[in-house]
Amino acid sequence: MAQAVNVIELDGVVKRYRSGRNVVEALKGVDFHARHGEMVTIIGPSGSGKSTMLNLIGLLDTPTEGSVSLDGTDVTDFTGDELTEERRSKLGFVFQAFHLLPMLTAVENVELPSRWDTSVDRRDRAIELLERVGLGDRLDHTPEELSGGQKQRVAIARSLINEPDVVLADEPTGNLDQDTSRTILEELTRLKEEEDVAIVAVTHDEQLLEYTDRVVELVDGRIQS
Amino acid sequence: MSFRPLRRFPSVEIAWQNLGRNRVRTGLATLGIVIGVVAIVSLGMAGAAIQQQANTDLGSLTSDVIVSSGADSDQDGVTDAQVDDIRSVVVDADVVPQKSNATTLTTRSGERARVSVTGVSQADALYETSAGEAPERLRSGALLSADTAAELGLELGDPVEYDGTLYRLRGFIESDDGFGPGGDELVLPLSALSEQEYYDTVTIVAADGDAATAIADTLEAEFNDEDEEILSVQSFASVQEDINSFLGTLNLALLGIGLISLVVASVAILNIMLMSTIERRGEIGVLRAVGIRRGEVLRMILAEAAFLGIIGGVVGVILSLGAGLVLFEVLAGDATLVFGWESSRYLLYGFGFAVFASVVSGLYPAWKAANDPPVEALRG
Repeated sequence: MAQAVNVIELDGVVKRYRSGRNVVEALKGVDFHARHGEMVTIIGPSGSGKSTMLNLIGLLDTPTEGSVSLDGTDVTDFTGDELTEERRSKLGFVFQAFHLLPMLTAVENVELPSRWDTSVDRRDRAIELLERVGLGDRLDHTPEELSGGQKQRVAIARSLINEPDVVLADEPTGNLDQDTSRTILEELTRLKEEEDVAIVAVTHDEQLLEYTDRVVELVDGRIQS
Repeated sequence: MSFRPLRRFPSVEIAWQNLGRNRVRTGLATLGIVIGVVAIVSLGMAGAAIQQQANTDLGSLTSDVIVSSGADSDQDGVTDAQVDDIRSVVVDADVVPQKSNATTLTTRSGERARVSVTGVSQADALYETSAGEAPERLRSGALLSADTAAELGLELGDPVEYDGTLYRLRGFIESDDGFGPGGDELVLPLSALSEQEYYDTVTIVAADGDAATAIADTLEAEFNDEDEEILSVQSFASVQEDINSFLGTLNLALLGIGLISLVVASVAILNIMLMSTIERRGEIGVLRAVGIRRGEVLRMILAEAAFLGIIGGVVGVILSLGAGLVLFEVLAGDATLVFGWESSRYLLYGFGFAVFASVVSGLYPAWKAANDPPVEALRG
């Protein structure tokens, strides 16, 4: 069963990068996994390596040591272009600042990641996803005509357009007030179950922890157990 | 605004939508291109108009071959036999032998004018008249330059005297405002100069400059060799070639000036595209994060640059066409000549250069945006 398999797995991951003359070790041997239908939240103080870890899980960066597997495939040594293909087919992203394209309507923004696949028309799925996040009447609105919460719901719909295995959420409620955050989190939780997708979130928001299945705390590049 | 026909080309469609985001910037970038195109096209067209005008002015001169006695000839002129020989070699052009002299015309009122005298039979082959006629065979009467006639107050039918004989004026020679023979000239029947045994010159009137050159070459080969010049053969086609080559250089120089302005415009586009991609760095990072390939981002930015070139090119071509109409009206006196290939091709060149320069200017920003690591782009 797919549920039993770890859809994303980090194994002994070390990430070092150069910062000026110094070499910074952001992650010092991290093991991590997430399963289908599971929401895992990574917490920790600033500079603990949360963002670095999310970048590695999101295949935006590669580890210095250790390995990364997605859906059972070791992607550690994939080239940049191969990682792009993996992100395109298996991952979704939700950002703190929403990052919607201002000149596109809600439905065009949701459709955007799949626009370059001319073989499939995802417009119907885009509309359906927007209806499911309660924006069925805002399809042709541009981002500036939407509230913060509505924008983040568009972003959530966008992250699901390619039927991903994992959705990465970087401070998904960071720019929203408490009530809006709550609705967004309820939305995410529902979609997580409906789409059977793993959600990996990074946050400072205590409220998010109520909705999460598992919390991983990162301190100084190591996971606290 | 969505542009559905481009649905199959998402990079192009998104690029089109991106252009609408900052209209002022798009407008300024386009304006640069418009100026460049107008500069190139109107300077090119000005060159074409000057060239066309020069060709009209040179007119018949360049299609004439003038034959006179050569340095190694036994006679002081061209003989009847040689004229016959020329006629046998030159088939499809008029061969007009002439004798020439000079005289002073005096009117009853005492006005005097120095004129050159040409004795010729086939007057119509050489002269156009503004009044009266130039007969095919001039046996009696005379033609006089219109300017001289006006100066002397002579009218058609008035007599002029040459060598003790009176000739009635049958026509006035149209003064040629171009190059070539002209000025004060009195044209008489050959018989008037019968004291001269030989012809001074033989004019061969060819269809055009190329035919004139061919005839000149044939005559050279027929009558002369390396050591001996029996007949001196002059063709002015080479003059036209020289003038054309000069005008060609002038044209290139004008185009060069136009190109500079297009280069300036493309530097502006480079700057604007670079600014725009830097400004959108995070956004492009998001595109890369959600799985848009490097090549797709590259095409998107290039398409944006190409759109700037196309829009600027179209507007530039329309404005240039207007400028061209005015130019040709002023320089060549006929605005519709602008549609001839000689000048209209600059519209095509201008447009082509505009698109080309814009795409080239977009290459670096596009490459930079496409190869920016998404992690860096998202952070910045």
